[in-house]
Amino acid sequence: MISACFILSYVLSFAQTSSMGGKITDETNQPLAGTVVSLQGNTSQKTATGSDGRYRFNSVPYGTYIVRISSIGYQEITRDILVQDGGQLIVDFKMEPIATGLEQVVVVGYGTQKRRDVTGAVATISSEDLNQGPITNPLQQISGKAAGVHVNQVGGEPGSAPNVRIRGISSLIGGNDPLVVIDGVQGNMDLLNQLPPSEIESVDILKDASATAIYGSRGAPGVIIVTTKTNRAGTTTLEYNAVSSVDAISRKLDMLDADQWWEQAQIYGVPASANHGSRTDWYDILTKNGTIQNHTLSLGGNERNFNYRASLNFISQDGVVLRSNFQNYIGRIQATQKAFDDKLSIAFNLNGSVRNTEGSPNGVYRPAFTANLITNAYLMRPTDPVLNTDGSYYTDGNVFQYINPYALSQTVVNEGSNNNLFGTVKADLELTKGLIAGIFGSWRRVDNNWGYYLPAASTMPSAIDNQGIANINNNRQDEKLLNLSLNYKSVFDNHSLDVLGLYEWQSQLYYGNFAQAKGFINDITRYHALQLGDLTRVQPGDFSSYKNDRALVSFLARVNYGYMDRYLLTASFRRDGSTVFGDNHKWGNFPSVSLAWRIDQEPFMQGQNIFNDLKLRAGYGVTGNQQGLYPQNALQLVGYAGQTYFGGEQITNYAISQNGNKDLRWETKYQLNIGLDFAVLDSRLRGTIDAYTATTKNLLFNYTVPQPPYPFGNIVANVGSMLNKGLEASLSYKLIDNSNTTLTLAANGASLRNRVLKLSGQIDGVPLNTDFVGWGTNSYLVEGKPIGSFYMLENLGKDENNKETVIDRDGNGIIDQGARSPDRYYAGGALPTYTYGFTPSFRYKNFDAAMVWRGSGGNKIYNTLRQNLSFFENIGKSNLLENAVPLGLYTTEYGSDLWLEPGDFLRFENLTLGYRFDVERIRCISSLRVSLTGNNLAVLTSYSGIDPELNVGGGNGFGSDGGMYPRLRSIAVGLHINLK
Amino acid sequence: MINKLISLCFAVVLLQGCTKLDENIYDKYTSEDFYNSKEGSDVALAAVYAQIPGNWDGVGYAGADRGWYDLNSMSTDEQVIPHRNTGDWELDFARLYLRQWLPTDGFINNTWNWLYKSVFNANLAVAQLETANADPSKIAEAKVLRAFFYYLLIDDFGDVPFFTDNNVTVDKIPQEKRAVIFDFIVKEINENVELLSSAKGGVYYGRFNKWAGYALLAKLYLNAEVYTGTPRWQECLDACNKVSEGGFSLHSGAADNSHPLGYKYFELFGDVLPDDETILAIYTRVDVVGRNIFTVRSLGGSDASALFGYSGWNGSVVPKDFLDKFNDNDIRKRQFRYGASPFGPRPAGFTIYSVELNNIDNPGANPNDGARSQKFFPAAPANSGGASNDFPIYRYADILLMKAECHVRMNNAGAGKPFVDEVRQRAGLQALSAAPTLEDIYNERGFELAWEGHRRQDMIRFGTFLLPRGLVKAAQSYRLLFPIPTAALNANPLLTQNPEYN
Repeated sequence: MISACFILSYVLSFAQTSSMGGKITDETNQPLAGTVVSLQGNTSQKTATGSDGRYRFNSVPYGTYIVRISSIGYQEITRDILVQDGGQLIVDFKMEPIATGLEQVVVVGYGTQKRRDVTGAVATISSEDLNQGPITNPLQQISGKAAGVHVNQVGGEPGSAPNVRIRGISSLIGGNDPLVVIDGVQGNMDLLNQLPPSEIESVDILKDASATAIYGSRGAPGVIIVTTKTNRAGTTTLEYNAVSSVDAISRKLDMLDADQWWEQAQIYGVPASANHGSRTDWYDILTKNGTIQNHTLSLGGNERNFNYRASLNFISQDGVVLRSNFQNYIGRIQATQKAFDDKLSIAFNLNGSVRNTEGSPNGVYRPAFTANLITNAYLMRPTDPVLNTDGSYYTDGNVFQYINPYALSQTVVNEGSNNNLFGTVKADLELTKGLIAGIFGSWRRVDNNWGYYLPAASTMPSAIDNQGIANINNNRQDEKLLNLSLNYKSVFDNHSLDVLGLYEWQSQLYYGNFAQAKGFINDITRYHALQLGDLTRVQPGDFSSYKNDRALVSFLARVNYGYMDRYLLTASFRRDGSTVFGDNHKWGNFPSVSLAWRIDQEPFMQGQNIFNDLKLRAGYGVTGNQQGLYPQNALQLVGYAGQTYFGGEQITNYAISQNGNKDLRWETKYQLNIGLDFAVLDSRLRGTIDAYTATTKNLLFNYTVPQPPYPFGNIVANVGSMLNKGLEASLSYKLIDNSNTTLTLAANGASLRNRVLKLSGQIDGVPLNTDFVGWGTNSYLVEGKPIGSFYMLENLGKDENNKETVIDRDGNGIIDQGARSPDRYYAGGALPTYTYGFTPSFRYKNFDAAMVWRGSGGNKIYNTLRQNLSFFENIGKSNLLENAVPLGLYTTEYGSDLWLEPGDFLRFENLTLGYRFDVERIRCISSLRVSLTGNNLAVLTSYSGIDPELNVGGGNGFGSDGGMYPRLRSIAVGLHINLK
Repeated sequence: MINKLISLCFAVVLLQGCTKLDENIYDKYTSEDFYNSKEGSDVALAAVYAQIPGNWDGVGYAGADRGWYDLNSMSTDEQVIPHRNTGDWELDFARLYLRQWLPTDGFINNTWNWLYKSVFNANLAVAQLETANADPSKIAEAKVLRAFFYYLLIDDFGDVPFFTDNNVTVDKIPQEKRAVIFDFIVKEINENVELLSSAKGGVYYGRFNKWAGYALLAKLYLNAEVYTGTPRWQECLDACNKVSEGGFSLHSGAADNSHPLGYKYFELFGDVLPDDETILAIYTRVDVVGRNIFTVRSLGGSDASALFGYSGWNGSVVPKDFLDKFNDNDIRKRQFRYGASPFGPRPAGFTIYSVELNNIDNPGANPNDGARSQKFFPAAPANSGGASNDFPIYRYADILLMKAECHVRMNNAGAGKPFVDEVRQRAGLQALSAAPTLEDIYNERGFELAWEGHRRQDMIRFGTFLLPRGLVKAAQSYRLLFPIPTAALNANPLLTQNPEYN
């Protein structure tokens, strides 16, 4: 048991009753307000601590009392105390958080459970364990903290969110992003943009199907449940948090400098006219140091039956690439009022945010190369000047579609505003003892407005042709959710029962418009006055609008049953209907069941001293996926297809816009999970081990179909199945634990094996061979192999013309580049097969320190950027990598394994040092802490690119490196003040 | 009481509306509703024509890049885009000229996908028009269009999958023999050509009227020996004569200072193609309906800027051996720009191109090497993404040379001479001194139809396609067909690759 220390001291006096008082502090010796102290004995009394952490009973008769100290989030303390006559008794208590204890509250979806009662695989990260530092997205706070939860950040573009995969990729079509639930509101990952990072109380991650099945279709990829801070009873808060960082680029590629470039260029016959004699470090002039600011002001109170909390948050990031930045403003207010003797509780939540982004352009096109602006800087010849002698931006008319990236970065306007507003209302009414009826509604609106102006000065050929291009893109979302629930809880004899019935309806509406004008006499109005454009330049595609929606209807029931606190059962059933499927396939049934056995509670375990806690869990559940599917895929639709000329005039052309599939149905995932929770060595060592297998059937995917007969090369269909299995372990060991010092070593690891079981299926009644479907660059879906398997041609060397040669494995004299080619071999997979984190923390008196090391591996990366920057056929117009020189390749006809590299890495992600000042004597401050954080301090990897952390989440660019926004290395200072 | 209220609420919700899951369509039409309406069946035919103008992503017959036109032109002796020693231009263009294309090259996949999407659209149009009991001439038009696409498919790929009903599964459409599809095309055209309108221009501009139908039929017969092993010269001649019934004549070749290139002849490649000679045109308006990039792609960056005010691509050039065959008095030689005093406008700062081209792949050509084409002298509106010149698919000069060829092939060369002379004299040349030889016809076709997409077919028919040319070696005979694209083989393992490609 974790010991709570208490100090008794007596001052003798002569009264008949004694007074009793003291101070209650938390594990860091900070006063703990709102702690309830109760006495039971000759009399029963109850009080709560004030903001100074002090409590007092004025009149306590002689006798023996049981003192109970309880505070949400802390382990309850119970002590026997003898109160003598006429004394003044001072009793101080120090409380320990229950972050890892059995009493910890776990949010399990539509309700909470205590940790000891949880039957599924649920990871909980409480606020004190969240990563600190320059946080711009709440997901950064859980990186490396939970086994099997892979938080992956590609590059450091301002406002870019990490990608999260829980237990890998179980769907091919998408819909692999976990469901996010913030205080009951369900949404996609972007919902987290509306949350001030420092307002998070805890994050619960539902991993296995028995836990996620309660969310039915939307829960298949896992669920991240965020609970925000609320005030403890009887307390008020005024809190200020600030973090400020300086960011630098952690790694650059080594390109040829001006002398090296010209030396090589001459070898490859580049004419002197291509050497413009400058010495320009293009990457350097397009980048700088960045900064991140994060300020939060929170206030709250909890008096009698009214509870509120409000916060203002401002996040600002100035990126390391010129003119890339974002600001996020969030305001939120929550209020809960109780009535009818606390039988009715109504909670309102209103949350608004504005997110302004100025982006460095993406998708900058030049022949055979399209990437973001900063990656284009690598392509620039180091001998090109930035400016002409007259101060205008330099361009080279002798290079086809030359782009001066500095001109582009200085002149383009590419900015957007994302306005979010959501409100929720939740009402719970206790009908009779244990029976609660609830209603919950949420409505979220997102307005995303993007403006773009590309002036002729940008040197972009299209802008020069059109004398400026301006456009405005408005996209709106309307998301509504309503649920009605009945919840019954009862404890009788040795039985405990918790039954939930729920109906839920949700809809998401997407609509928007686009307008574009070209031909401006000057650049003054940017995109703010499209009417000033030249009307004669209006073309098809210059204006458009769209609207589509989806709805999901669900019925669910869940039973939690416990017998003798030892045998726990959770069973749930959810029936979901979705609009996006074919007429006969709209409904899916998603049952789950899980059991837990608290072995340490058995009589036969009473004598043993090894295990302080031992629980075995097993669960099986079915979940569905429909969120990855866009609306309207089931139908063959006719839409706009530009203009055509017919009957002597230009007319609108209509065309079938996709291959329809009336048989689209639910993709379903069947998951089995077995887990063990244990605590040994006097609870100093705690651990959780989970093993699971998940089989996804009726895999939705945009499958390749033959042309002919299909008019398009792809069709969304349910074909095939896939297996994920893995092992997860988290351990935490309190190496030192005394009143001055704690040292906790925590680590987690997960292995993940993915295998495509079957890919053949039928479409329109005809067997369709979909084996060896491309998925990523040179990677494929192949039966029996993990998704994203690299089947590669093997580099041999080069021929007399310095053209790359590859091995002709079947020796037929022809290099077959087909997907099933016998000349290819299996060279590894794009998916990491293991992830791990090491997160030690240390505290000595007022000083604290924490580290995060995390890594992943077992995967390969196809280094597309290196390939692009390595062939000397391009040197006349483009710079190349230094390491291209020893290769000496002129050109290639293949994508070979020469560019395939191991993707293993270990990152020293975070080091935070903090100091908490003693503020007891300062009147207005109840706590004050300063901190220093270093982020991304080191990366151990053999990968030759900028950063080995790439898209392993599926979709565009999966498994390859096409050039990214630079990764940041940051040093941050933080301040936290609590006022009283 | 409250319990009852709550359960009532639940009951109401459960019974009403809560299970409605029909998908709402706001911004498109469902294909059944659309094509079963009168408006839908009308535009089904227009949608087939929408396939023909060239555009980005390698779609269309001619006008843009990386599609059918490049595949059938850059693989010949009339044009090439050399890799430049300044790093410009990917080597896949040079591979076409070298006849070393790969089954993975984008041109081939783009062409295949474009043609099969066109066949799908044509099948759809035929079905919709038949269901709607449309005017028989419209049904015939859709069928002839489909025949046109199949003709292009067998010309490039040989044996290809064949289907005329879109409600078919892939296992029912095996690769059909080239000769069998040839028979289908010929039969389909013969059955429908007389149903087509005989009107020219106006609402039939850019459409298959009767004359375009016969021109297509003539092309089939002209190449029948290549496709089937059996020549059909007389049938070709008959079809050409049918075209002549349409009252076509050669457009004037007179000098005209109002045209930048100095002759009325170049109006044949301008904005609206003249009805006297043009049989089938592609209507083009840049960025609206297709585009015509052929001149801007050829000229250098600063040269095009000096000439037109927007940048050129420094791409396609005319190989010296092809250019050298032109007589200096031939007005058609003015379609090329080279040397210190080029034809056409000479604004300040124009570029001097050398006729010589020393290297096309490694290390590549010097920036200004190779003569350029200005045949499609940009018609407004135009920009660096192309111009609005229409493109001639079939014109009467081609028919005249086909007639002459048929006569020569049938050992009646004397009867062919007037047709060749007519074409030569319009171009400012003397009549032939003797009856034309096959080589005369071959060369004349090169002069008259350069850069119009006919060259590969002609070179194969005349047996010159595989010969060494300019800087490059002879090619092996399997290069007479293009490979089935790798992506198509990946998607449909039932397909068999053309011989020696794997």
